[in-house]
Amino acid sequence: MNKLDLIRMGIKNLWRRKLRTFLTVLGVIIGTTSIVVMLSLGFGLSQGFEDQISQWGDLTTINVYARWVDPSMPKQEQVKLDDAAVAAFKAIPNVAAVSPTIETYGAIIDGRYVSQVPIKGIDPSSMAEFGFEVAEGRLLEHSDELTLVFGGGMTNQFWDPNSRVWREPKIDLMRDRMTLSLNPNYGYEQPGSDTPNYKEYKIKTAGVLVEGNWDTDYGVYMPIKEVQKLIKDKEKAEDVRPQPGSRDESQYQNINIKVNDMKNVQDIQQTIKDMGHEAYSLNDQLETMKQTAGIIQGVLGGIGAISLLVAAIGITNTMVMSIYERTKEIGIMKVIGASLKDIRGLFLFESASIGLLGGIMGVAFSYILSFILNQFGSSFLGDFFGMGGESKLSIIPIWLVFAAIGFSTLIGVISGYGPARRAMNLSALDAIRTE
Amino acid sequence: MDDFIVLKNLRKVYKMGDEKIIALDNINLSIGKSEIICLLGTSGSGKSTLLNMMAGLEKPSKGEIIVNGLHLEKMSESQITKFRQLNVGFVFQSYNLISTLSAMENVSLGLTFKGVPSSKRNKIAKEMLQNVGLGDRLHHKPSQMSGGQQQRVSIARAFVDNPKIIFADEPTGNLDTKTTFEVMDLITGMAKINNQTLIIVTHDEEISSYANRIVYIRDGSIEKITQNEINAQGEMENEANL
Repeated sequence: MNKLDLIRMGIKNLWRRKLRTFLTVLGVIIGTTSIVVMLSLGFGLSQGFEDQISQWGDLTTINVYARWVDPSMPKQEQVKLDDAAVAAFKAIPNVAAVSPTIETYGAIIDGRYVSQVPIKGIDPSSMAEFGFEVAEGRLLEHSDELTLVFGGGMTNQFWDPNSRVWREPKIDLMRDRMTLSLNPNYGYEQPGSDTPNYKEYKIKTAGVLVEGNWDTDYGVYMPIKEVQKLIKDKEKAEDVRPQPGSRDESQYQNINIKVNDMKNVQDIQQTIKDMGHEAYSLNDQLETMKQTAGIIQGVLGGIGAISLLVAAIGITNTMVMSIYERTKEIGIMKVIGASLKDIRGLFLFESASIGLLGGIMGVAFSYILSFILNQFGSSFLGDFFGMGGESKLSIIPIWLVFAAIGFSTLIGVISGYGPARRAMNLSALDAIRTE
Repeated sequence: MDDFIVLKNLRKVYKMGDEKIIALDNINLSIGKSEIICLLGTSGSGKSTLLNMMAGLEKPSKGEIIVNGLHLEKMSESQITKFRQLNVGFVFQSYNLISTLSAMENVSLGLTFKGVPSSKRNKIAKEMLQNVGLGDRLHHKPSQMSGGQQQRVSIARAFVDNPKIIFADEPTGNLDTKTTFEVMDLITGMAKINNQTLIIVTHDEEISSYANRIVYIRDGSIEKITQNEINAQGEMENEANL
């Protein structure tokens, strides 16, 4: 029997019992839909976590800092974060950029407004690679002196120390003339306290970063050499000497590493830890949260799977019923020359078609449901999952569409296999005797 | 006469609970190619069982069934199916047409299983139905036809693709006298034209007159075998009819 005839005959048989076929298919539709929608919620959740974490900072940046070593343990040696370390990190495969960072604290004065900010020194040439983007102006350059780039959220960090209520400061970061003081308590000095004689510097603004990244919103950026100078001046003013052995000029507080792809972050982080440093990235958080999302997704998917299991039993039931009804027909077909393969093929085709049809319609239905959830559900369900605004509640990846259709078809085949075998093994003689 | 179908020491025992019922015992029979044989016996004599075993629908408990040199009793289910597909046509008492298929689809079904493409099998089926006088009933469902017409459809189905052997199990059991003779003329006529072996099972002495030989079966054994004298005359009649 050729395939086309088998398909034609199978479709005819299903069509003959439209209502029952429809009801069985409906079962598969419900099963497929529940699995797909449940899984899509999991994917939405996982994506939501990712979006949330990427708000905190860059997911592909690894933050390296010196491992604390107990000085009383003589065998352990402090691994230094110096230029040699920078070079070593640059040599690791999949590392896109490396920048040492140091940080100090100061105040920026713009007329009567003051802002206490961390002053972050970084390698100007690596800024673009680290994903810094300016909303206005430009990024830092090597030749910049006393020039800084503001974090994206800095406008709202200024206030008037003489005012009792906070009003939105009327300042223009790009155009205002500003000074930088190394006095971190500028404008808030306690009367009578002994404030060191900090230097003040006239500064220029190169640019303002794009807002929306918690890691870079707050603070100002300067070339690392400039910040090193500022720190020296500050230490001079405060009259503190660098403690011997603790931090010398050649050492950095931190080194940031930009990785080319998120999937390489964990490996590189491990490599760096093996080199004797401490390393941290937001990816650590993401992994944990993704695991959580995975567990929730598993539970949801499991609930969905139950309804598909019920649908599978429905298919088996329909096929068994069909065999009882068609016993005589099967017998006749056997007697006039249908091979066992044909009979089995026919029944398997019918049950697979039910699965396939249910799968396709289930996926279509899932898309509708997913759309409705994203449209109307995020307002209240979003709160429930603790996710903020823009994340989609339900995401159906394209592979899930094919997986769902394939799986429901497979369920059809598996459910039909028993009945098909039964049909195949029917005694032709008994079957034709059935009146 | 060559031995196209040979039965040797055939025995069939059914188990009904603890009791054994011997349906057939010690059957030895040779049937020649293009011979028309009638298995005549009362109900329960075992004649249908004998036919089913020759057709490979039932396995013997003991003995050999050799058809065209092939041992049916040694074949697997799928081999027997293949054998039936290639060699055997059936006509049943209760027609056994598939009720959801039209006359033409019923006739062409066997060809479908053989993998004959649809245009070709429809042409063959149409010809067969015209041969049995149902050229104007091609697209009727079995329920829309009389018993005689249904039996003609099933004859067309049995003869389609020219099988070597035709088995007819009480082919006229559900038909009136007039139709009975029409149907019997049709079956035997077609079998003779195509040089096919025809094996008819019946309890009706009148039907047996169409056969070359009559095998009387009684209580599971062959009682006697007779050559049919009327046959020559019957043959003449058939040829005249055709």
